[in-house]
Amino acid sequence: MALTQVSSNKCAGGFQKVFEHDSTELKCKMKFAVFLPPKAETGKCPVFYWLSGLTCTEQNFITKAGSQLAAAEHGIIIVAPDTSPRGCSIEGEDETWDFGTGAGFYVDATQDPWKTNYRMYSYVTEELPKLINSNFPTDPDRMSISGHSMGGHGALICALKNPGKYKAVSAFAPICNPMQCPWGQKAFSGYLGPDRSAWEAYDATVLAGSYSGPQLDILIDQGRDDQFLSASQLLPDNLISVCSEKKIPVVFRLQPGYDHSYFFIYSFMNDHIKHHAKYLNA
Amino acid sequence: MELDDIRGGRLDVISEEGEHQDISRESSTMEACYVVPEPGGRTFQRFSVNTNESLRFEPCEDSCPSPTAAEDDVFEKGEFEGEIIPVRNQLQGKVAEMENFAGHLEEIFLTVEENFGRQEQHLEQHYNDVLQTLSQRYDERATGLQEEKKSKLESLYGQLLVCGQALDASKVLIETAQEIYRCQDKRLFLKTVMPIIKRVEEFAKEDIDLTLATSLEFSTPLADLTDVKTMMDSINIVPAPSAPVINPQLPNSATQTSLHVCWSLFSDDTVEYYELYYRPVLEDTPADSTCAPQESKVKVKETHCTVTDLLPNAQYELWVTATNTTGISPASEKALYMTVPSPPVIKQRECSSCPEAALIRWESGNTNPVDSYTVELSETGTVGTESNITESIVAVPTCQCLIQLQAGRQYFISVRAVNIGGPSERSDAITISTTGTFFYLLEDTAHPCLSMSEDGFTIFYGDEELPITAMAFEDNTFTRCVAILGDLIPVRGRHYWEVEVDEDTEFRVGVAYEDTERDSYLGANSSSWCMRHIRTPSRHKYEFLHNGWSPDLRITVHPVRIGVALDYDRGTLSFFNAHLEQHLHTFRCHFQSYVHPCFSLDNPGALTVHNGIAAPDYTVT
Repeated sequence: MALTQVSSNKCAGGFQKVFEHDSTELKCKMKFAVFLPPKAETGKCPVFYWLSGLTCTEQNFITKAGSQLAAAEHGIIIVAPDTSPRGCSIEGEDETWDFGTGAGFYVDATQDPWKTNYRMYSYVTEELPKLINSNFPTDPDRMSISGHSMGGHGALICALKNPGKYKAVSAFAPICNPMQCPWGQKAFSGYLGPDRSAWEAYDATVLAGSYSGPQLDILIDQGRDDQFLSASQLLPDNLISVCSEKKIPVVFRLQPGYDHSYFFIYSFMNDHIKHHAKYLNA
Repeated sequence: MELDDIRGGRLDVISEEGEHQDISRESSTMEACYVVPEPGGRTFQRFSVNTNESLRFEPCEDSCPSPTAAEDDVFEKGEFEGEIIPVRNQLQGKVAEMENFAGHLEEIFLTVEENFGRQEQHLEQHYNDVLQTLSQRYDERATGLQEEKKSKLESLYGQLLVCGQALDASKVLIETAQEIYRCQDKRLFLKTVMPIIKRVEEFAKEDIDLTLATSLEFSTPLADLTDVKTMMDSINIVPAPSAPVINPQLPNSATQTSLHVCWSLFSDDTVEYYELYYRPVLEDTPADSTCAPQESKVKVKETHCTVTDLLPNAQYELWVTATNTTGISPASEKALYMTVPSPPVIKQRECSSCPEAALIRWESGNTNPVDSYTVELSETGTVGTESNITESIVAVPTCQCLIQLQAGRQYFISVRAVNIGGPSERSDAITISTTGTFFYLLEDTAHPCLSMSEDGFTIFYGDEELPITAMAFEDNTFTRCVAILGDLIPVRGRHYWEVEVDEDTEFRVGVAYEDTERDSYLGANSSSWCMRHIRTPSRHKYEFLHNGWSPDLRITVHPVRIGVALDYDRGTLSFFNAHLEQHLHTFRCHFQSYVHPCFSLDNPGALTVHNGIAAPDYTVT
């Protein structure tokens, strides 16, 4: 597939690039960011997929998260796609900031008018990896996934639904139980319809309850002063109790004073990349 | 091998030796092997065994004839071979003995010559002395006589002169009288005759001393030759020896219970035997001599002696006298010797190790102080047998030593105590593996409610409540937190150990400074860091405590085997679920000094420490 380089900046000894391509899943032009560490010049590197949250594009992460130095140190390629299809001219896509544009929720929509384009799940788990593996010096067996908020939800469900595909998973302030929170309920009813059983396939808490596969090691950081935590949008306790019961290893850290912003992400990005590197470089 | 070859090869060797000596040997244990000479007249080897005759070996000629049928019975190949070898060995032994003996004889011969030479010299000198003295005496006597003669002659001469004078005087007088008698002048005659008559009368009255002034005899006093006599006598007497010279202690000549003492003669004395005296030098010598240490003595013929049955690490005073038929020499100077110390005892439970070093502690093994210690180490061979000492660390002043080692090896380490007498025997060795970090738990820091398994790696907090009075608190024990410290980790770099717990044990594991408050809880102060597990009916809670503060964490899978990774250089202390290889938490702390691992049980239960494990890769960032 044809990739067009949109930008390239030398960063942390490597290159922070942005590409554009025609997505077959999403049926539109999509941009994604790629960070190539110095090691990529001489050898194959593992790939860390980052899924951003509501309202984000491929830019927020690469400019605010401070991931490049750690990625360069550990020799990891970071791929950060956009959060939804763009320019599809679907009615209602720009009405609210938490549904439609910039709010793909990493599902494959089954409802009209979303089902044609809003297939972020397949895009992230199928199309994008294939694209990346054919265009960049990657080790296709070494992938990991992470994200923030809606992206955290996306990372968790991708890992839980694809046992063994991702060598590591982590999340920042993820939406752990979308079926039980306003955000999730709004998005799922829009993308997946009213049948709640269809929602279960995209709910990390539910998926954890029935997970069977290689052992996971999930790292979750959550700002204690996160307004959305107190607004019951994130519901990490639900995920934790299910994981405790099902013996899915999780280390959940409640970080005092931190909010939901990229300042919070920036503060703990190093820990997460180290966590991923442990498994990607093993 | 053919029988021929046996004979051709080995027996030739024996025959060579046989030519050199012709000494009777003891009977060998070999069976009679009597070889029948072939009618051709060639000679075979002949062994006369079980007799006292000398074994004579006639050299085998060119080739050995093949054995006859008769011999087949006698010779069994194997027997033959086997029996020759002990005989040959015996012979070789005898040769060596003879050579030794010859050597000894030579030595003795030389010594006798030497001694004889000395005796000769001695004698010559002695007689020379005597002769000298005699001639001296002669001279003295002769001069004495001369003088006597001289004085006698002088006095006689004097007398003679006097007589002559007297004669002359009488002559003169008589002549005067005659003159006067002949004088015509009667008047003058009458004037002078009376005094003359008087003078003549007086002169006639005078007694003439006709005795000789001196006797004609010479006095011959008895010659005092007593000293010559003594000298003559003493020729037959060997003088008593002079004091020997005792040598200072040679290095490495002493053992724990014995001393090897050497001395030498000052001059060419003849000595029959020596007596070596020794007594221990006590630290506190009492004032009164009644309690003085007992003197012992040994009689020896050589100029050296090994004194045994002594105390280790003790100083002894030694002196020696030499004795011959004449008497005993004065004592030599007193020399101070010291026995070597007893070997130290390594305190197994107080030794710890890590990949790059080991800390060894031991007990001196001696009641009195020693000068220093030597630590010896050797790497165990691949077969596990002890190889030679590869390294020695000398002049260790105290009873502990931190030794640099290489990672992933196994060593035997032993210690010797050293004093001026030399080094002691090696202590029992301790085996150190430089795999992982290894330490024992410090029993004397344990809270009284903690008990320890025999191997020292599991601690128990019993169910029964001990009354406060039954608890024996020492200075070093924890008094509130039911805790115990591990031995100090005194080496920089990374260290790793694991702690095994069960589902419900409430514990604290981590590290603490040596001076962490014993009346405080682990993690509640600034001198300790720990992971804490709290069990509630519904779930597990975890805290990572330092200074009373912990981050807020949830862990979904309860770790029953906790990996603890300490990195002094980076200033980190990390905890892992070892079974899952899952990282739990990392403290970032700048350690001001070395730390001890610490462990506590907050409710009845048990906890086992596993160490000496190489840090898994996932613990190394």
